[in-house]
Amino acid sequence: MSGELIVRAEYSERDAVVYLSGEIDIYNAQQFKEKIYQVVENSKGDVSIDCSDLNYIDSTGLGVFVGALKKAKQNNRDIHILNIRDNIKKLFVITGLDKLFIIH
Amino acid sequence: MELNDRITLSLPCKAEYVSVARLTASGIAYRMGFDIDTVEDIKVAVSEVCSRLINVSKNSDGEYEILYEIDDNRLKVTFSSKNIERAGCIFEDDKDGLGVSIIKAFMDEVEFCPDNKDYILSMTKFIEEKS
Repeated sequence: MSGELIVRAEYSERDAVVYLSGEIDIYNAQQFKEKIYQVVENSKGDVSIDCSDLNYIDSTGLGVFVGALKKAKQNNRDIHILNIRDNIKKLFVITGLDKLFIIH
Repeated sequence: MELNDRITLSLPCKAEYVSVARLTASGIAYRMGFDIDTVEDIKVAVSEVCSRLINVSKNSDGEYEILYEIDDNRLKVTFSSKNIERAGCIFEDDKDGLGVSIIKAFMDEVEFCPDNKDYILSMTKFIEEKS
């Protein structure tokens, strides 16, 4: 019923990139949380989240982004957000999260 | 002729049906002639209320209704429920406040905790005059 979410991670010697595709809402936010936390834990450096194919995110999903950032910061690492669509960037700006994340 | 249509959607308090609320909201808003960015805003605001309702409802058997009132110059969306405990003030202890910020930013008028005990929240978006 909900738009499917695909989370794919690529690790390198220096960092990790996560590719998101689909929608993140209350239905699949827990699934997203488990996957992104795992990447933050396993990455050897910063984590980049590529949002090219992310169509929709709600506050539940944004909350997971914040949780992942806190987890990364505990290890002196950052989360970079790449290729974010205008409708989703608007949500980051409204909620003030654009000041917490490095948005490219 | 003046428009004065009403559409009601009744949904179970289950996360898997929030996307149905989003699709309905965007379908109605698009039909009314809102621009595509505003359609997206209304969809996001509706979804935020649904998510919060599901978070606070302890009884997954609960149901809620979304009433869309369509006028010539505005869309009013009212959420109500007869069987969700404390449904009236669902954002009362919203700690992170992200949902509230989004709803306030995207809708023109929002009435939290209306007096009627069955109502949960009411929000309105006006169609901007085309010059």
